[in-house]
Amino acid sequence: MAAIAEKQQDGIWLRVAPGGNIPLLNSILYCIIEEGLVDEKFIAERTEQFDAVKKHIQDYPPEKVKQITEVDPELVRQAARKYALAENALVLYGLGVAEHKGGTAGVIALANLVLATGHVGRAHNGINPLRGQNNVQGACDMGTLPYTFPGYQPTDDPAVLEKFAKAWGVSSLPVKDGLLEPQMYDAALEGKFKGLYCVGYDPAQTQSNIARVHEALRAMDFVVVQDMFLTETANFAHVVLPSACFYEKDGTFTSGERRVRRVTKVIDPPGKAKADWEIVCLVSQATGYPMFYTGPEQIMAEIARVSPAYAGISYDRLGEKGMVWPCPSPDHPGTPLLHTESFPRGKASFVPVSYIIPEEEADEEYPFVLITGRHLEHYNNGSMTRRCEGFERICPEELVEIHPEDAGRLGIQDGAVIKVESRRAKIKAKALITKRSKPGTVFMTFHHQETLTNFLTSPGMDSKTLTPEYKVCAVRIQT
Amino acid sequence: MSEKIKITVDGKEIEAQKGQTILQAAKGAGIEIPTLCHLEGAADSSTPCLICMVDVEGKGRVRACNTPAEDGQVIAVHSKELDAFRKERLTLLAESHYGDCRAPCNLTCPGGINVQGYVNLIAKGEYKAALMLIKEKNPLPISVGRVCPRFCETRCRRILLDEPIAINHLKRFVADYASEVGFRDDVVGKPTGKRVAIIGGGPAGLSCAHFLRKQGHDVTIFEAEEKLGGLLRYGIPGYKLPNKEVDREVQNILNLGVHVKLKKKWGEDFTIQDLKDQGFDAVFIAVGLSRQKKLEIEGSELAICGLKFLKEVNKGQRPKIGEEVLIVGGGDIAVDAARSARRLGAKSVTVIYPRSRVELPAHQREIEEAEKEGVQFFLMATPLKIVEEDEKLKVEMARTILDEPDKRGIRHPIPMPGSRLYWTGDTVISALGQEGDPTIQSFGEIEATIKLTPRKTIKTHPSTMKTSVEGVYAGGDAATGSRTVIQAVAGGRRAAESIHEYLMSEKAGIAEARFNFTKGKRFEDVDMHNFDGYSIKLNEVMPSRPPERRIGDFDETNLGFSEQMAVREAKRCLQCGCLGLSKCTYRELCVDYKVKANVARTRLKYPVDRSHPFIVIDANKCIGCTRCERSCQYGALELDIKRDEKTQLIQEVSIKLNDSCVSCGACVDACPTGTLSKQDLVIPMFPGQLTSVKSVCTYCGTGCSLDVVTKYGAILEIKADRKRPPNWGQLCVKGRFGYTFYRHEDRLRSPLVRDTIDEPFREVDWDEALRMVAARFGAIKDNFGSDSLGILASSRCTNEENYLLQKLARAAWGTNNVDNCARV
Repeated sequence: MAAIAEKQQDGIWLRVAPGGNIPLLNSILYCIIEEGLVDEKFIAERTEQFDAVKKHIQDYPPEKVKQITEVDPELVRQAARKYALAENALVLYGLGVAEHKGGTAGVIALANLVLATGHVGRAHNGINPLRGQNNVQGACDMGTLPYTFPGYQPTDDPAVLEKFAKAWGVSSLPVKDGLLEPQMYDAALEGKFKGLYCVGYDPAQTQSNIARVHEALRAMDFVVVQDMFLTETANFAHVVLPSACFYEKDGTFTSGERRVRRVTKVIDPPGKAKADWEIVCLVSQATGYPMFYTGPEQIMAEIARVSPAYAGISYDRLGEKGMVWPCPSPDHPGTPLLHTESFPRGKASFVPVSYIIPEEEADEEYPFVLITGRHLEHYNNGSMTRRCEGFERICPEELVEIHPEDAGRLGIQDGAVIKVESRRAKIKAKALITKRSKPGTVFMTFHHQETLTNFLTSPGMDSKTLTPEYKVCAVRIQT
Repeated sequence: MSEKIKITVDGKEIEAQKGQTILQAAKGAGIEIPTLCHLEGAADSSTPCLICMVDVEGKGRVRACNTPAEDGQVIAVHSKELDAFRKERLTLLAESHYGDCRAPCNLTCPGGINVQGYVNLIAKGEYKAALMLIKEKNPLPISVGRVCPRFCETRCRRILLDEPIAINHLKRFVADYASEVGFRDDVVGKPTGKRVAIIGGGPAGLSCAHFLRKQGHDVTIFEAEEKLGGLLRYGIPGYKLPNKEVDREVQNILNLGVHVKLKKKWGEDFTIQDLKDQGFDAVFIAVGLSRQKKLEIEGSELAICGLKFLKEVNKGQRPKIGEEVLIVGGGDIAVDAARSARRLGAKSVTVIYPRSRVELPAHQREIEEAEKEGVQFFLMATPLKIVEEDEKLKVEMARTILDEPDKRGIRHPIPMPGSRLYWTGDTVISALGQEGDPTIQSFGEIEATIKLTPRKTIKTHPSTMKTSVEGVYAGGDAATGSRTVIQAVAGGRRAAESIHEYLMSEKAGIAEARFNFTKGKRFEDVDMHNFDGYSIKLNEVMPSRPPERRIGDFDETNLGFSEQMAVREAKRCLQCGCLGLSKCTYRELCVDYKVKANVARTRLKYPVDRSHPFIVIDANKCIGCTRCERSCQYGALELDIKRDEKTQLIQEVSIKLNDSCVSCGACVDACPTGTLSKQDLVIPMFPGQLTSVKSVCTYCGTGCSLDVVTKYGAILEIKADRKRPPNWGQLCVKGRFGYTFYRHEDRLRSPLVRDTIDEPFREVDWDEALRMVAARFGAIKDNFGSDSLGILASSRCTNEENYLLQKLARAAWGTNNVDNCARV
C-alpha cells in the first residue's frame, strides 16, 4: 500500500501509526459529517442507525486522534473531502485493516464511511477487500468454515442440514459449531484435538506466534500435510501427500470480485503427485465414505445444486471471462454489482466502532513496533516464488526494514545482521535502512523458512474472526 | 452502441464502428494491416514506423493506426507502391539489426531439428519436452544419438570460445532417459483411410512410417530381413549401436500401430503393382544400398565383402578371420570392419587407403577410436593383387602418389612407379563404398519406369522425394546414395509430408520460412565480442570403456551422460537463436515483404545486458518502435534512440531498466523483436509451434487472466491477453515470471510417511499412505470422537477442492471442524 501511495502523484498518503486504523477512519467520518458532506438521501433511504454513529464520532476529531494515528489533521480533512465529494470512489482494503485485534471493527469503520457518502451500489464505487490469496473468496464460498455450509448457509438451520444430509447421502450432519483454526490449536494443547488434515497451507511458518502452533502440532497424534513441497508444517506431519500445482489441474477459483474463473490444466503433475481433489476423494474413500467424481466439472455441478449463489454456474458457461456470483439460475447473467437496490438485510446499519488498543504497544522494554507484510516478489510462505528462477536475485533473504534515524541512533549499518526480539522470541536478520519504515517501526515479511518471523509476532487476535494481529508487535532491536 | 459505418478495404466492403481507426476497423473484419509501432491501448509513437501507411481515396497516404475510419472510405492496404514503400522501410530497419534468427546448429542439421530448443529444455530438466522436440523431426533419437556425424556440432559457435556443445550426446541422453522412465508420448492422427506401403524397414522407412502414422495414415512396412532396422541393425556394429537399442527404437515406432511384413523381398515376393492391387495408395521405397563397389584388382575374389562381413557380425555370427586382417577402403564400412575384426580376435588389423589421413571418408573421431583399439592405417598405399600362398593371402601393394589434375581439377592417386610392398595375412576385407541396384527396374512393369541416376540410385526430387512414377516415393540411401542416418530420417520425413500432401491435398505441418538474419554464416564472419564475458568451460566428456577392455566384446563402447553431466553440458549453450522468434512481427514482415537479410549489420554494437533478473536486453536487435517504452506504466524503461535525420536510419540505441522496474514484463511482451526477451524463455520457436492455454493466476485474489504458453508439457512463458479482464494484459512479477517452481527439484513426487515426527520420512505408494491415513484418523475418531479431528483447507486450492474438503469433514468424519487459511 505504501508503495502505491508513493507512486501516486496527487494522492494522499495517510501514514497511520500501527493500530490506528479505527481512530483514523472515525476521524475521516468526523470531518465528512462536520463539513456536511454526507449523502443525506442515501442515508435516509438505504441505511439506519446513522445518528448513533454521528454521536459516537464526536469523540474522534482528527486533531484529537492525532496522538494515536500520527496523521496530520489537515491531510485527514483533505482526504475526507476528496472521498466524500468524488463522483465515484472505491474503498479497497488489504490485510493491514483485517490483521489487527480490532480488524473487524476496522472494516466496520470503513463501511460506515461508504454508507455515509453513498459510495456503494453503483459501478466504480463500493468496498472491496484485496485478497492476499487467490481463492480466499472461493474457499469461504465453499464452506470451509466451521459455521457455514457452502454458499454461507448456516449449519444450525434444520432445513439446510436436511438438504445437505440428503445431497451427501448421510443420515445426519454435525450440528455443533466447529473450531476455528486457532481454536484447533487451543484444543490440541488441551488434549482434545488429535488429528489434523492440512491441505495447501503452512501454518507452522505463516501463522502468528508460531511457537504455540508448533507446540499444538506436536501435541496432536496424527498430522497429514498435503502440499507441493516439504513445508515447515510438514516437519510436524506423519504423512505428506504430494499434490499438483495449478498448472497441473483443472478447476475454478473465485477472485475478490466474486468472479468464478476456470483454471486449466496445461501440464502433468510430477511423479506420483495428484490434483488435490483426487487426493481428497482417495482419502475419503480410504476413511470409509464413498467420494467419486469424474472431474472438477462434476464437482461444480454438485456445488451448483446445493449452493444457491452458484446455482447458475457451470463450466460451459464460464468461458474466458468467468461469471460473477450470485448467479441463481442457468439463465442468470451473474451479478457483478451488489447492493444496487437494497442490502441483504434491507437497510444497511451503521455501527459505531471504538478504538481497540493493540495487544502490544511499544514501551520502554520493547520500543519498536514490528509490522509484518509481504514483498511484491514473494507469495506467503515463499514455497513457490522462492523456487522460481530470478526471484532469489531480487529478494533472497529476510530483511528488517528500519528508518535511517533509528538505524543511526542504534549504530546499525545497512546490511548488518541485527537481532529483533519480542516477548516471545529473538531472531536475526539483515537490516535494510529505508524511509519506507516510519521511525519507531520495523518491517519484516515471513517468506523465508530460514528466518521464521512469526516466532516474534503477537498472540493478539481479532475477537470475532481470530485473525492474528500480524501488524502490531512490540520488539527491541539489538546490534 | 456506436454508429455503424461501411468502408472498403482493398476492394472489400467491410462494416466498422464509428470512432475506430482504419487499423482497428480492418482488424475487426479480419484484415491485418501491418504495423510495428502500434500498441493497442498505449500512446502513439512520436517516431512512427510508417509500416501501416495506407492510401485513402481523396485523402492520400495516411497512417492506418491513427486515422479514423469514415463512412464510405475507400482504402488500399496493398498496392505495388505501398508494398515497395514498406519494403524500403523494413530494409532500413534491417540495416541496423544484428542477430541470429535461428541458431547455426538448427540451420545445419539435415533433419532440421530445433537443436537449441532441446538443448535448453535439457538444461531446464524438461527431458520429456526435449525428446518430443527432437522427435518432431527425428523419430530415431536412440540411434542417431549414437551414430550421427554431428553436422550441428561443426557449426556450434562455442567453437570460437572453447569447444562445441556435445549436442549429440545430449540427444542420446534424453532418448536413453526416456527408455528408462518410459514416457508416453506420440499421438497418432485420426484415421484417414489411406494406406501407404513402405519398402524397407531401415531408418528412412521407419521415419516415414512414424510421420505417416502421426497424420493418421495406415502404414505397412515390407522388410526383406528377419527384423526391422536395416542398416541400424545389420550395418552399424553393436559396439556403436547395440541391437537392443535398435529394438527399442523400432518398438517405439511400431507402438504407433504400424503393420509389418517381414522376410518380404521386393522383386522376389512382390512388385509395386502387387502393392497397388492390394489397395495401397502410395509407396515409399527405402531399400538402402545393398551392393558394394567391386574391388577391381587381380585376386579380388579372395577378399570378403565388408558389408556382408558386418551383417554376419551383427547377426551374432563370428566369422573366422584369423589373426592378420587387411581392410581395403577408408569409409565407415572399412573402419567398422576393422574395429569389428579386432573384436573377433584379429591381432593385426590394417586399413589400406590410397590417400592421406585427412582425406579418409570415415569420421576422424572413428579413426581415432579405431587407432586406440590397435587398428593401423596404411595410408597413401593401394593393393594391386591378391594371391593365395601357403593357406595365407599375400597382397601386393604400392605406395601412391597423386596424378596430374583431371578436367575437374581433382588429382587422383596412382601407384608410385616402381613401388612394391607385400602384406601376408589371413583375411582381406574389401570395404569400398556402396552403390545402387540397377536390377530394380527389372522387378516389374511399374518398376521399369522408375528412373535411376547415373549412380544407380533412384531419381527423386530432393524436397518432395517423388520418383518418376506418380504415387511412388523414394528416400534414404536408395535415393541419395550413401549418406548418414539423420539424412535418411529427414528423407523419410519429407517423403511422409509429401505423401500426405498427395493423399490429402493439404500441407503437413507449418512451413518454416527460410529467411534468416545471422551473426555470420562462417566462423570468420562472427564478431568475437559476442563472447565477451563468457569464460572457457570445456565440454563434458562422455565416459567410455577403455580400449583394451572393449575390444574383448561387442558391447557398447560409449556409456552415455549422467543426468548431471547432461544438464551441465546443456547449460554451456550460448543460445544463438533469437528467443523473440515467437513474437517477432518484424521477421514476419521481412518475410512477407521479401526483405534481404544480408543488408543487416555484421558487427555487435552493444553488449547483451543480462543484469535484470527476468529480462534480457539485446539492443542490437532494436528496430526503434518504442513499444517497450510506451508499454511501461512505471517509467522504468529508459529508451534513447538516435536516428539519422535524413535517412531515419537508427544510429544509437540505449535501453535501460531503472530502479522503478517492478518486473511486470509488459515491455517484453510489447517488443516485436528479440530485443527484449525473458531470461527463462530459452526455446526459439515460431508462433504456430506453441500452445497457449487460457488460465487464471493463483497468486492473489485479483484473479488475473493468464495465457500459459507451453510446448510438449513444458511451460515456456506466461503472457497476458490485452483483451481479457480484470488485468487487460497487465501482470505482476509473480504472475508473469513466478511459474518455474513447478519443475523445481524439491517438488514432492511421492507420498511420504513416518510413524513419529522424529523419524525421517519414507517414500511409499499411494495405497500404503492412504491405509495409514485411514487407520490413524479412524483410531482417533473411534477413541476420541469426530470433533477430535479437523481439516485446514486452502484458499489456494480450487473451489471444487475446498467443497470436497468440507464435505469430507462434515459428511465423512462428522465434524464441523473445518477452516481455511484466509487469515494469513
